[in-house]
Amino acid sequence: MKILGHSFEDGKITFEAENFVIRLKVKKIPEGYIISGEIKGKPKRVEIFRTEMPEIFFINNWQSWGPAKKMKRGEKLKIPEKILENFGYGFNPNPHLFEQNVVSDYFYGEKKLVVGFLSSKYAHPFFLFDGHEVVGYLDYFEATYEDFIPLEPLIILHGNLDDLLPVYAEYVKLKNNLQITKRNPVGWSSWYQYFSKLTWEDILKNLGLAKEYLYEVFQIDDSWEIDIGDWQPNEKFPPLEEMAKTIRKHGFIPGIWIAPFSVSETSLLAKNHKDWLVKDENDSPLLAYRNWNKNIYALDITNEEAAKWLKNIFKRLKDAGFEYFKIDFLFAGAIPGKRHLNISPIEAYRLGLKFIREVVEDSFILGCGAPLLPSVGLVDGMRIGPDTAPYYNPETPGAFIPNAFYALRNTITRYYMNGKWWWNDPDCLLLRNIDTELNLWEKKAYAFVSGMLNNMIIQSDDLSLSIERYLLDSALKLRGGRAFVKGLMEEVYEIFAEGTGIGNVKLRINLKKERSELSVDEKSIKLLKQVKTKGDGRKFNYYQQKGDDKDA
Amino acid sequence: MLELRYNPLTDEWIIVSAFTQKRPTRPKTTECPICPGGVEFPGTYDLVSFDNKYPSLQLNPPNVVSESPILKRKPAKGNCEVIVYTSNHQSSLSEMPLLQIEKLIEMWVDRTRDLMQYNFVKYIFIFENRGQEVGASLEHPHGQLYAFPFIPIRISRKLDAFEKGYEEHKKCVICKILEEELSKKERIVYENETMITIVPFYARFPYEVHIYPKRHVDSFLYLSGQEKKDLAKALKIITMKYDRLFNIPFPYMMMFFQSPVNTKDFSRIFHFHVEFNPPKRDKNKIKWMASVETGTWTFINPKIPEEAAQELRNIKVEVK
Ligand SMILES: [Zn+2]
Ligand SMILES: [Zn+2]
Repeated sequence: MKILGHSFEDGKITFEAENFVIRLKVKKIPEGYIISGEIKGKPKRVEIFRTEMPEIFFINNWQSWGPAKKMKRGEKLKIPEKILENFGYGFNPNPHLFEQNVVSDYFYGEKKLVVGFLSSKYAHPFFLFDGHEVVGYLDYFEATYEDFIPLEPLIILHGNLDDLLPVYAEYVKLKNNLQITKRNPVGWSSWYQYFSKLTWEDILKNLGLAKEYLYEVFQIDDSWEIDIGDWQPNEKFPPLEEMAKTIRKHGFIPGIWIAPFSVSETSLLAKNHKDWLVKDENDSPLLAYRNWNKNIYALDITNEEAAKWLKNIFKRLKDAGFEYFKIDFLFAGAIPGKRHLNISPIEAYRLGLKFIREVVEDSFILGCGAPLLPSVGLVDGMRIGPDTAPYYNPETPGAFIPNAFYALRNTITRYYMNGKWWWNDPDCLLLRNIDTELNLWEKKAYAFVSGMLNNMIIQSDDLSLSIERYLLDSALKLRGGRAFVKGLMEEVYEIFAEGTGIGNVKLRINLKKERSELSVDEKSIKLLKQVKTKGDGRKFNYYQQKGDDKDA
Repeated sequence: MLELRYNPLTDEWIIVSAFTQKRPTRPKTTECPICPGGVEFPGTYDLVSFDNKYPSLQLNPPNVVSESPILKRKPAKGNCEVIVYTSNHQSSLSEMPLLQIEKLIEMWVDRTRDLMQYNFVKYIFIFENRGQEVGASLEHPHGQLYAFPFIPIRISRKLDAFEKGYEEHKKCVICKILEEELSKKERIVYENETMITIVPFYARFPYEVHIYPKRHVDSFLYLSGQEKKDLAKALKIITMKYDRLFNIPFPYMMMFFQSPVNTKDFSRIFHFHVEFNPPKRDKNKIKWMASVETGTWTFINPKIPEEAAQELRNIKVEVK
């Protein structure tokens, strides 16, 4: 049977192009449709969806640091020159498309519509805002598939954007069979106080002061390594075992930073193993991005030797006692280029993450600078915005550069991923009163929003400074609930968090004008609980009203 | 023996919990095991929830190997708790001070929060069997909790219905029903600012009563402080009315239905609710779960719900 010129069998429509074949199936769901199917051949970039471009829309960048925000037709993202020069694939696996057009990766929204892809296991899914149309593509790059592989499903949802983004996130969860860890960490990180100047003495000093805080994790950030790619402690730091053991001795889970798919041009790794790097068409190492004043290349984990090396690095860190891994600049693992095996860059990226997971087992993995959708199911936490900073400036261009304002904006505009795909990392709370330009409102807003959205809470301060400590406690008390955000395309966000540590809470917040109103439902009774275990192993939970405690 | 067995005739799991039979039947008041000073509690207490001595589901159940492709079995992983409402043996929901019921609700919230931390727990079912007519073996005011490792079949049926209704009405089914009940007021028994209590249009038992929050909310966890207070009041008023209906301590099954946990998110489509299923059709008559009810799940209700609602509405009770 043929329908509109395409063969139709078992409810599947078959499209045959010169280099590939697609079979599609449409399923009705309460909010709209899911289009799934399978594909084989050498599809390259396949158009899956096309519609008229709306006046205003909601876009999402492919990786952690990129924006998720409202845009108007004709508007372009403002990106500083220097960033444009250095960032390469950081913007997009197809940087030229990104520089010339507006692109939204994985999904996009309108006031009454959300269209998105539910997985990214083989292809890179994106929407191109082209002329007067929005076109949805799946990009398989140069990969060839002899047999049918599943198509990344497309979902079309009708209703209100604010309601639909959580629905989209939920379908991604279902499609990828996600069940995330219950551990939603609280911790300390060195980066936003010490940056690359961190020393072992700084770590020892802060470890000494950290027991006053409710941290679980204590994480050493960038600065401990010899070079990007040479993952051994430099002369400022003791051996890995001592680093981990010292943190453990202070009662915290040892955490460490690493950029596993990045290789600096100056590293021994780059010098000794050119064949382990992703190449360009002339077989030279492909420049992934520039940072640390260096050219950074990408590790080709489809090379067996390189894969072995990667696993070894993580085995060494794990054996040394680290159980929390902040893995950064992950997009380098997904850049399109020549690899040992002809699989798509997305497949290569997922393979790399799987290797890491295999080795670190149930240790906590925090993704950063990471392609979002291909990471689901392989990380426990995920940075969902650009770096924060000890300043908050709504006036500067916002994409990809450190700024507490844009970091907080993304924390809100990507909140629906939290608890479904992973635990969102809103980036660190900076609560100190010196060495910072952040005012009290800005610190408070960051702490309250991160807490209400039940995100990861990581602080980054020199703990010997004067610190608004109560804000960490407030953030923690505000966790544990379920959040809903109204006004994702507006100037004022309304955040509803139900079932938090202090009950139901509502926050109206204008990030640009630094205005906010917090209302807390204070009517609930507070109970004290005491847990006792009987001799036969049974648990007894005793409750009484707070303040009704005769013994206290 | 403790294990789950699969019934391929109905696509449902059965719990085989063989020590259930050893359970004591209705001990005398003097030997109440859950009174302060009883077997379970040497000292005093206010409210307690504890692991059942004869559980049907356990956090660490005996291991079970399933060998047959058709007659499948699984470990009975989950938890069963006894929830003691008060240390006062003589009390009941209808007699308890409102404050005690408010504390009880907070305890239910906390039990839910605690048990949903286990990824394998999929459904947390809180209930009370009151009276020997529904098999309660202790008079001391208490309820129970089952943390299931699967979504029980009637809950799954409800979720399907809510999903179907959502598609049809573009709205949660209970929210849609509330529009009608609140405008017609035919079946309302009691109502306050945030809760409505009705004999539902679709009542299966003669004096069945449901409590629905007026706001769309899917679980104990997300009720506001006011909603919890109003729920406490509704629970007290309904059970008081029940006791006055035939002037006997009225037997019932009280069941709380919340969204499943650690699975698909049903928060948009599912509406938290309470069902009272009392077995009495008259002072001395029982509405039995007989062949038609048990075998076909078709209920024959000998009472017109609107009349039951009126009877219950007309019983005046005072709550301070
Ligand atoms: Zn008793
Ligand atoms: Zn509802």
